[in-house]
Amino acid sequence: MLAAVATIAFFLLHAAPGGPFSSERRLQPAVQRNIEERYHLRDPLWKQYTTYMGGLARGDLGHSMKRQRSVGEIIAQHFPYSVKLGCLSIVFAVLFGTAMGVVAAARRNTATDHGLMSLALVGISIPSIVLAPIFIRFFALQLGWVPPARADGFVSYLAPAAVLGLIYAGTIARLARAGMIETLGQDFVRTARAKGVTERTVVWKHALRLGITPVVSYLGPAIAGLVSGSFVVEKIFQIPGLGFYFVDSVASRDYPVLTGLLVFYVGFLVALNLIVDIAYGWLDPRVRT
Amino acid sequence: MPRRHGTTLSIAVIAGALVACGLPDSEYFGPVPAVRDPHHLRWCNSGEPDNLDPAEGQSTTATPLMHALFDGLTRYGDDGLAEPSLATSWDITPDQRRVTFHLRHDARWSNGRTLTAYDVAYQVVRVLHPITASPNADSLDWVKNNLSYLSGTVRVLLRDRGGLPAGTIVELSVAPDAVPPPDTNLRTASRALALRELGAAPAAAYATVPAATPVTIVELSGRPASPPGPAADRPWAFVYWDRGAGVYGWVPLADLDGEPNAAHRYQVVPVAAKNLPGHDLTADEVAALTAPAPPAPTPITVDGRDLLMLPETLGIRVPDPFTFVIEAADPTPAIVSTSASRAMRPVPREAVARAPRRWAEPGTIVTSGPLHLVAAIPRDRLELVRSPTYWDQADVKLDRLTAYSMDDQAANANTYFAGGCDAVAANNVPQSYLAALSTGNHGKPYRDFTVSPQLGVYFAVINTKRFDNVHLRRALALALDRPRIASFLHGGEIGVASYTPGAPIASLDDADLAACGVTRATPGVALVIERGALCYVPPPGLEYDVAAARAELALARRELGDRFPREIVYKFNLGFEAHKLIAEYMQAQWKQVLGVEVRIESQEWQVFLADTRNLEYQIARMGWIGSAPDPEVEFVRMWRCGAANNRPQWCNRAFDQLLDEAAATIDPKARLAKVRAAEAIMVSEAPIIPIYAYTQKHLIRPYVRGLAQNYIGQPPLWRVWLDPDWRSQP
Repeated sequence: MLAAVATIAFFLLHAAPGGPFSSERRLQPAVQRNIEERYHLRDPLWKQYTTYMGGLARGDLGHSMKRQRSVGEIIAQHFPYSVKLGCLSIVFAVLFGTAMGVVAAARRNTATDHGLMSLALVGISIPSIVLAPIFIRFFALQLGWVPPARADGFVSYLAPAAVLGLIYAGTIARLARAGMIETLGQDFVRTARAKGVTERTVVWKHALRLGITPVVSYLGPAIAGLVSGSFVVEKIFQIPGLGFYFVDSVASRDYPVLTGLLVFYVGFLVALNLIVDIAYGWLDPRVRT
Repeated sequence: MPRRHGTTLSIAVIAGALVACGLPDSEYFGPVPAVRDPHHLRWCNSGEPDNLDPAEGQSTTATPLMHALFDGLTRYGDDGLAEPSLATSWDITPDQRRVTFHLRHDARWSNGRTLTAYDVAYQVVRVLHPITASPNADSLDWVKNNLSYLSGTVRVLLRDRGGLPAGTIVELSVAPDAVPPPDTNLRTASRALALRELGAAPAAAYATVPAATPVTIVELSGRPASPPGPAADRPWAFVYWDRGAGVYGWVPLADLDGEPNAAHRYQVVPVAAKNLPGHDLTADEVAALTAPAPPAPTPITVDGRDLLMLPETLGIRVPDPFTFVIEAADPTPAIVSTSASRAMRPVPREAVARAPRRWAEPGTIVTSGPLHLVAAIPRDRLELVRSPTYWDQADVKLDRLTAYSMDDQAANANTYFAGGCDAVAANNVPQSYLAALSTGNHGKPYRDFTVSPQLGVYFAVINTKRFDNVHLRRALALALDRPRIASFLHGGEIGVASYTPGAPIASLDDADLAACGVTRATPGVALVIERGALCYVPPPGLEYDVAAARAELALARRELGDRFPREIVYKFNLGFEAHKLIAEYMQAQWKQVLGVEVRIESQEWQVFLADTRNLEYQIARMGWIGSAPDPEVEFVRMWRCGAANNRPQWCNRAFDQLLDEAAATIDPKARLAKVRAAEAIMVSEAPIIPIYAYTQKHLIRPYVRGLAQNYIGQPPLWRVWLDPDWRSQP
């Protein structure tokens, strides 16, 4: 799977016009040859491919052509920021979104339900580039509760995580609501109610575990997406995560960085989906066996 | 990538709108925090420095930090002019071709070693060596034989041959466009080579070259301009091994027993008299410079084993460890002021050799300046501290400098507002905040927001290899209404169609007006080089003229036919909203006046710099900030054919010829007249389109002292200190 992604990425990128070092150079031919040889750009394409795949097999993701660092170093230096931001965002999104969705499902078709789902829609609709400056203006500049930019301590992650979280919370709320509504219509819930269990226990103890399975499925890709670089939020809040390098390596044709990040991202996504599958089994006993 | 960069503008516009509405009027921009540490400056830099290595870094993000880390023969003072630093004094020959610098004896590197003239020579050699491919080589384009060194065609004769004595500097006679001949400096060794420091034991090697692997000789010990080896009769060689990112080291010359190109025959001629290092031109030779060129001398044929490219082929000499001599082929008044620039700041050979591309990082960096680098977290910040080995401790007020690497202007200004930094790097204030900053103090500018002039010009560069039709370029230049641009930037910028920047003529005093030869009513700008004595008025540019623009376009369409571009792509770098505003304005103007479709794209700064250098663009935004009021060196020379920063790669023989003549002229006024004539050619051919002259916007907390605001935007950061009692002295 990873090899397939790497292969496709490699050939797609090389098919794109332009390269990291243009052919109309102003440097002396000997110097140009020197540099191209350093990056194996003079080898035939198949040879560049096998060199790269061989490196991948050994765990060597390659070296950036535009910066003096290896792809592994870039990932090691910047991934932790994206992870911290992503995790905090997910916590916020899950807590807030699930609460919204569950309450809305429990009070289905009431004013509460409509109100909460409207709020969810707002969260999904407002783009982060609007939400983020608003957050900065009020929470950082006006109130001074958080710093306006830079990743400098736990407090500085709160505002960007809230912005990102709000956006995902909306989707989670809707998924939770749908899942809960379906679950609350199940036989075992009717049985529990008939046995006299309080509504609150029915909802939060019995139905929740099954009702949030759609949320759990969504979490896999959501976490991967959040963690691997929410470029816009990272840029506005100047969190030095990986998102920047994704976008930058495309524009600059920095082949090793982009393919390296893609392979890393895909690997991460695969791992997360595996965890989701396991969690799914744990949550829904019918799926086990 | 194009889609995503709506974010930069949108963020800042929204932020600007939000900032403007609802903030109460106050004296300063943001509540002024208390001073926690009077000797720690937190500085919001304009982004992440591209490279701290003085041979590689070129951005305004890196340069003030480079000046703090690496001392120079001269350094920039508070007024932006060069003052003595490593060099305590210097002697200039009357024909302005040679400067002898006398170095102080107490300058040391951070590793304790004494800084010598050999370190200065090493940097010059390194910047001009083809393997380094330094973007800063342009600054040294006046040094004797610099071009032939850079292209690898100059050699020193090692033995008497063909009637020429050993030590003669010669040039390879190679036909232009011919395949370059095999390298005379290539060597191999029958046994593994232990790359180490000069005179060290083999056990101290930091890299080992396998047997029979080629290396390239860069220097030989004991020769002029190179350090002496441990024994005069057994020289050492400083070689380059092309492994990975490359590594350099010293080995005894005797270890290099393989000379692949020893028997290859080369045709060489001695270099011209004016390029002869160590030679003073006789009266006859000076006369011969302006006489018609004599027939080229007959080349002699020499074996590869008798030729080497060594530092002594350049116009540099180190007669003793504390004397550095540098020579220009032509009269060059700017040698001393250039000695403060990056290309001449010495670097520590022992650190560079081990990791030529990565030595300037914490842990491996060795510095000579007032501050030393202790931390560099990518895209976050750099930490510099007072260097205990710096010779001028009295000049250093700062104990710690934290330079934040945020590349978003709004984030920088917001961080300043919230008390996260004490000063924002000049010109790092977002466009959309300027209106609010100018009126937030009860209708007046905030007291910590100031605007000062800057020796810089903002222009668009046109890839002349792609847009080779001069009429098309001229049409694009004529179609821009510049005063309107300055009106939406809110920063006091002056729209200019002329190129070399200067102060508005209307603002000059009478003595300067007389020196410039203009009246107060003359439109445009003038650059005062010496108050009341020497002035440069740039030639007028292609001012806005719709009819002329359309006429040029019609000519271009006719000449290009099918080749006329269907769409033009204009590229700019991220981080400054002004670039996007101007791009959109130009796009609209060109569409409206000329009917030309323009697409705009943006890129991250480091990549943008690299790509525009490599002709990976059509039209791009560029700016140039001069480091001294010298129009010839700082501004006009940039457009010589093949110059390192000539991003359009424009070539014009008449232009180069005029600059050559100017270079040979000693009288300053006559010299400037030739420069002006050259600039007129350049502006008329429009490889670039000047847009406006820069001003610097500053956000500096009232408690910050010693942060100079000078014309070149290079404050000596180490002189800054914070005053806890600032309120008592407003």
